[in-house]
Amino acid sequence: MDKLVEVKGLKKSFLIQKGLGAKRYLQAVNDISFTIRRGETFSLVGESGCGKSTTGRLVNRLLTPDSGEIWFEGKDITKLSERAMRPLRKHMQMVFQDPYASLNPRMKVKDLVAEPLIIHTKLSARERDMMAAKLLEEVGLGSQHAERYVHEFSGGQRQRIGIARALSVKPKLIIADEPVSALDVSIQSQVINLLQDLQEEHGLAYLFISHDLSVVEHISDRIGVMYLGSLVETADKDTLYERPLHPYSQALLSAVPVPDPNVKRERIILSGDLPSPVNPPSGCRFHTRCPSCMEICKQRVPEFREVEPGHYVACHLYDEGAQAGGKS
Amino acid sequence: MTERLLDVQGLVTEFKRGSSHIRAVSDVSFHINRREVVGLVGESGCGKSVTSLSLMRLLKDTPGRISGGKVLFEGRDLVKLPEKEMRHIRGNEIAMIFQEPMTSLNPVLRIGKQLEEPLTVHLGLSRSQARERAIDLLRQVGIPRAEEVIHDYPHQLSGGMRQRVMIAIAIACKPKLLIADEPTTALDVTIQAQILELIRKLRADNDMSVLLITHDLGVVAEMCDRVIVMYAGRVVEEGTVQELFANPRHPYTKGLIQSVPKLRQKVRRLESIPGNVPDLSQMPQGCKFAPRCAYATERCHQEEPGLIAVEGSTGRKSRCWLANEQTWEERGAVTDGQAG
Repeated sequence: MDKLVEVKGLKKSFLIQKGLGAKRYLQAVNDISFTIRRGETFSLVGESGCGKSTTGRLVNRLLTPDSGEIWFEGKDITKLSERAMRPLRKHMQMVFQDPYASLNPRMKVKDLVAEPLIIHTKLSARERDMMAAKLLEEVGLGSQHAERYVHEFSGGQRQRIGIARALSVKPKLIIADEPVSALDVSIQSQVINLLQDLQEEHGLAYLFISHDLSVVEHISDRIGVMYLGSLVETADKDTLYERPLHPYSQALLSAVPVPDPNVKRERIILSGDLPSPVNPPSGCRFHTRCPSCMEICKQRVPEFREVEPGHYVACHLYDEGAQAGGKS
Repeated sequence: MTERLLDVQGLVTEFKRGSSHIRAVSDVSFHINRREVVGLVGESGCGKSVTSLSLMRLLKDTPGRISGGKVLFEGRDLVKLPEKEMRHIRGNEIAMIFQEPMTSLNPVLRIGKQLEEPLTVHLGLSRSQARERAIDLLRQVGIPRAEEVIHDYPHQLSGGMRQRVMIAIAIACKPKLLIADEPTTALDVTIQAQILELIRKLRADNDMSVLLITHDLGVVAEMCDRVIVMYAGRVVEEGTVQELFANPRHPYTKGLIQSVPKLRQKVRRLESIPGNVPDLSQMPQGCKFAPRCAYATERCHQEEPGLIAVEGSTGRKSRCWLANEQTWEERGAVTDGQAG
């Protein structure tokens, strides 16, 4: 197995209140571990506030973790300085949800696309323009678009520009944070197809962050499900969608509306809301909403264990001998 | 025959842009029967929200105005109603909920106060009666600790809870029609499932009709009896939810259904609709979908079709010259440049 990224026991909290009284922290990411192989798509799914975006920003070190390790191509990058990190950033580019917010409105498209080349290569301005034209073509835009500004483009086209820019330095990993969530369905499928074509062509790996389980199923090889800062289950796509083990994964999958009026499904409707990550529940963080909550779940944090090859789950239901504790 | 609660006929809504008028909604006609859930589907900019605002006559503070057509609600034309009578209809007979409850709730008023307002204004309840009813409504929409929540401000509640409060306000006067404009789009899937379940239950309990405006075909398939598909300010297809998903009669509907990834579908590549939605100020001549349509012929580029009734069906319509071809093969996909 050829690991591109390996993340071990990653933790990150944010200080949200200082000054008088006790400091309060928001635990955004709590002890998560996963790997991304070369050329594969690993997705993180979960609902808002589950820590999936923070995880993406930790992996490329836009944020520094409180503890844990991040390995990239066999190198520990957890503690690298900003300066030492810079050459590595060439290999890990990012695509954001809202390309209008992440692309400079005062720059021409060709300059936006070629900007990373100024930092990471020694190409001349002329060579950069030629590269930009080539990249625009690759993402389905024409050279006639090169001299225009971002506001002249539709949402889908803007996302294509964002992708061309990420692609310019020939990265090995693209971290895509909700890249199609803001797009209409007919445009969304165009961009998903583009991402898949580019992956095939360039052997890219994606860390794909999304809340949309249908999109995630379509694009992923392996998937991690997050809840309130923790990974609750990781498995390859078919295993997760056919045999989800964690009660949260099961509820999440059953909640997705299916665009087929003939499909009538048993839906697991979770009670209540997401607890606050400032003051997360004791034991298993999901126990307050879990339909199969046991006594032990309120006290002990379940271990993230491999229950079958490649299938990890953090749930006391699958502890050996845990059922002896009985359901409460 | 089932009774029509709402009958929209040839609605036209225009917005002033500079010195010209842009048609956001052109010649939209549809109806909603009593106790029916009708879905209004389309992508951003197709005119679905403007249609709903027009029904409620909520365009006053915008550059928009209704410039044609009728909105018959129980036989009365809402377009011609004096503002005073319209105010009686809003909230009382037709209620509306929006995508982002935070922008529709007043941030400086407590939940209780906001809930009691329609009860005192429309139903003439006393303060204490209204308070009692408000708590009761919050319980109906599944809010725990209702007697405490009534003292909270909107920002103290989660997105799902805020949407429940909005729904409680909307159903306070037992409206005959609930217009829900993307009610779950801002919510997470597990919360979306809760809210959809709630709307379904309230519809049955209160004998309401629902106009559900959404871009999410999954939500449509689960909630609606009948579906109206909009594109570029026009209705392009109408049919029961079963018919529409099983056998779409407009190439846009077909493209839309095929471009959504579906769970356990296992396809390598998604179908997609090429190109973009046309700008309202630069509409193509002829069929507005023709530039993106694989089945377009010379006629489609020249002449816009009306809503054509599908033969052998009741109420099935498609704005396509090829609406009555039996199969998609008969319609014959043409690749770019070969049209005609």
